[in-house]
Amino acid sequence: MVKIRRAYEVLFLGLFLFFLVITDLRYLKGWPVSLFLEATPLVAVATALTTHTIYRNLVWGLFIIAVTMMLGRVWCNWMCPFGILHHFFGWIGNRRNTKQMIEVNRYRKIYALKYYILAVMLVMAAFWVVPTAIDAPTEIWHTYNGVELSQTGVSRVFAAIGTGISRAAEEHKRGGSTLQIGLLDPIALTVRSMTTSVLPTVHNATESIYTEPREYWQAWVVGLIFLGFLLANWWIPRFFCRAICPLGALLGVFSRFALWRIDRDPVRCTDCDLCLKSCEGASDPHTDLRKSECFVCLNCIEDCPHDALSFRFLPRRASEVTNPAVGRRELVLAGLFGVFFFPMARLSGGVKKNWQRGVIRPPGSVAEDEFLRRCIKCDQCIRVCPTNVLQPALFEAGLEGLWTPIMISKMGWCELNCTLCSQVCPTGAIREISIVEKLGIGPFEGKGPVKTGTAFYNQGRCLPWAMDTSCVVCEEVCPVSPKAIFTRNVEVTDRWGATIQLKRPFIDPVKCIGCGICEHECPVKDDPAVYVTAIGESRSKERSLLLSLVEGEGQEWVSV
Amino acid sequence: MSEKLTRTQQKNLEKFGGVNPADQPFSRRQFAAQVGGYALAAGAAVGAGALIRDPWGMEGVKPPPPVRLKDYSIALGVGRPNVVVVRSQSIRAEDHASREEELKAREDQALAMVKAALETMGGVEHFIRPGDVVVIKPNVAFDKNPDLAATTQPDTVAAVTRLCLGHGARKVIVADNPINNPESCFYKTKVGEAAVRAGAELMLPKDSYFEDLYVGGETIVGTWRMFYRPFREATKVIGISPVKDHNLCKATVTMKNWYGLLGNPRNQFHQNIHGIISDFALMMKPTLVIADGRKLLMRNGPTGGSLNDVKRGDTMVVGTDHTSVDSWCVSKLLEKPRDQIIYLDKVIARGLGRDWRPEWTQEITV
Repeated sequence: MVKIRRAYEVLFLGLFLFFLVITDLRYLKGWPVSLFLEATPLVAVATALTTHTIYRNLVWGLFIIAVTMMLGRVWCNWMCPFGILHHFFGWIGNRRNTKQMIEVNRYRKIYALKYYILAVMLVMAAFWVVPTAIDAPTEIWHTYNGVELSQTGVSRVFAAIGTGISRAAEEHKRGGSTLQIGLLDPIALTVRSMTTSVLPTVHNATESIYTEPREYWQAWVVGLIFLGFLLANWWIPRFFCRAICPLGALLGVFSRFALWRIDRDPVRCTDCDLCLKSCEGASDPHTDLRKSECFVCLNCIEDCPHDALSFRFLPRRASEVTNPAVGRRELVLAGLFGVFFFPMARLSGGVKKNWQRGVIRPPGSVAEDEFLRRCIKCDQCIRVCPTNVLQPALFEAGLEGLWTPIMISKMGWCELNCTLCSQVCPTGAIREISIVEKLGIGPFEGKGPVKTGTAFYNQGRCLPWAMDTSCVVCEEVCPVSPKAIFTRNVEVTDRWGATIQLKRPFIDPVKCIGCGICEHECPVKDDPAVYVTAIGESRSKERSLLLSLVEGEGQEWVSV
Repeated sequence: MSEKLTRTQQKNLEKFGGVNPADQPFSRRQFAAQVGGYALAAGAAVGAGALIRDPWGMEGVKPPPPVRLKDYSIALGVGRPNVVVVRSQSIRAEDHASREEELKAREDQALAMVKAALETMGGVEHFIRPGDVVVIKPNVAFDKNPDLAATTQPDTVAAVTRLCLGHGARKVIVADNPINNPESCFYKTKVGEAAVRAGAELMLPKDSYFEDLYVGGETIVGTWRMFYRPFREATKVIGISPVKDHNLCKATVTMKNWYGLLGNPRNQFHQNIHGIISDFALMMKPTLVIADGRKLLMRNGPTGGSLNDVKRGDTMVVGTDHTSVDSWCVSKLLEKPRDQIIYLDKVIARGLGRDWRPEWTQEITV
């Protein structure tokens, strides 16, 4: 059995790494490269809380939930690439003797921490419940007294309650929650770490991943956290999986239903505790099994000298600890923390009022509030971006926007005929757009192109504007037709008295889509004379610039 | 147990009284409970998930259907004027013993003027019925003293509120979304205090009070955020506006007053100011509009700020058609060439209102 599991581990880690490497314009083809991200049930559950929907392929998460409810946390030791990496790193770092191994794999109270982390994150994702609960009675009252319900009597009461609550929930969804599970969701964390720190590092030595080397803004932070979790296995095996992983906690909750589990034969068992030697989950197989902690690695069965352990269908309920060992008070405390922390983060500026001009989201991104309710910071968009323009934000987009994608035009530019980021996004933070929609042609003629920002000139640094020198590289590279950058010819007298002709560039804000190639190509490299800021982005009315562009039916459903 | 047990194991077995609990097969009850429980729980989880699945991908960001404003207008009786110009004597501070008395006299004057105008148009009860919920939209865009004439006079708001409540209105809501801080504006223009004193409910523009309003006009082609909450239960709408100069659109009277109901980023509308104001004629069909021309802001609008910019007008213009009222006010009170007011021409060209005509206008004095 353990051999089969190892084969699965190799298979799933291999598949994960394969998808990771082929998330590249050259190899992408039709591969479902975001499959692992779509399969983590934590993403499905948390985005269902924030958006009230399950985005497209996130239903894979439901499948994993169903499997977990039947077999326990098989995900953690058979499929999860981060779990498998931890398994591997723990194995490398293991220099303990049998006695020490048994001791290090006993359950500790600190392993309940992951449940509190999960609670905090889910509460922040479901914060809208608070204003909804406050507002629901009024909505119910209005619905009951309104004209739209056709029922009478008692059924009218029930209909009013249903409609009223759903109306209140719909109204308070906006601005009412944030999605932070991506900080610690193992798949999002692994994809992010691989994308922004591991792969560029590998490329640095081998020149094997990209054509041009990549740089990611302050990626060392991401990389250090990744390494830290992997190295933690040397001191506490599977530290991340046992103590931190909110996905493990979620599956731990669902595993209470599992029909199969490890069961100890109390007669055959001689209490030698050898089953703990290789126990991955620290689930106490030597006594009543902690069902929620077991990774179903099956090592204990192999290690038992008396065949006292088996993976059984419906063993006695008396010999298990069905539910996670979490304290009610601690859970309440975690919940309260979430209730207070989300508004604190949101109201620290950066999202509504003092939003930063550098938070330029990739084309197809939904409005910022909705974006923060969908983005899991997996940085899959950053992985697939062919020009390196997409970068993990630090605190530019506020605390909530940590490691979400922004465009830094000095690093690259948004390639005109490219919508790869929108195609790999697992949650619809960047909704899938076609080239036709991005360019605003064909059926999207009336709506116009997707704008990510607007370019401006810093005339004091621009060669033809300030230094009597011809240039207009920006006009040359401007990809739209007609060009958003145009020039006016001027005749000036230079400092020596000679008359020279210059072309001075201007921006047409109607045509500019904010791709940033002008900024990237500007010869004034350190602080480009033409630069893009987020104003005028078409994803939300609040951040539009021109009245002539903001209106139009087509835009209605993207702006939130 | 068939195989040979070690001594420890035999001891274990004895502890259990010779029966190994692990050898017991699961009971029928356990099977039903656990397998049934699993089927129910997993089915519920997967079913609920499938139910809210969004295969299109953008179900979650579809905005709720926009709200629409009702038509609040009341048809006039045959032969009734749609614009009534009421003139009165100036109220002078020196004629009154105290400031309070002077303010009282002003409010009484406003009440008399509005009442006289409505009587001319068919009686107050023609417009305000018992049980009505009346929304009064003053213009309190700036936190200025009312004497500077940049905002609606508080005594007019109080007088109209009293008039409505006196004719059986269930509720009067006074609401505006000013440019300056709302609390400051209602406080310093004294409109807030006057409204509350007269018995109205003051509604400040909280974030959640805004909804997407469908306009379908020329400048707001689709929808725009609008301070809609007061209109949820409204049955009548009265706009009370100052008569003043405006730097861009040349005149702010009753039609521009509706700008104050829009949410942000409304400053973009300065990119097409005449277009947006003409859209208001489509967006809002008020019961009544009142242009309070007792004080006029002649220049440096719309903010004003100096008494030198203010002129006495001693006139109140009441009407059912904001186009006619505004047209009369700009030419007769603000003394501006009518052809400067492009938005009025736009409104008329779009068939959303009619210019004032002497035969539909009546001038009275109280």
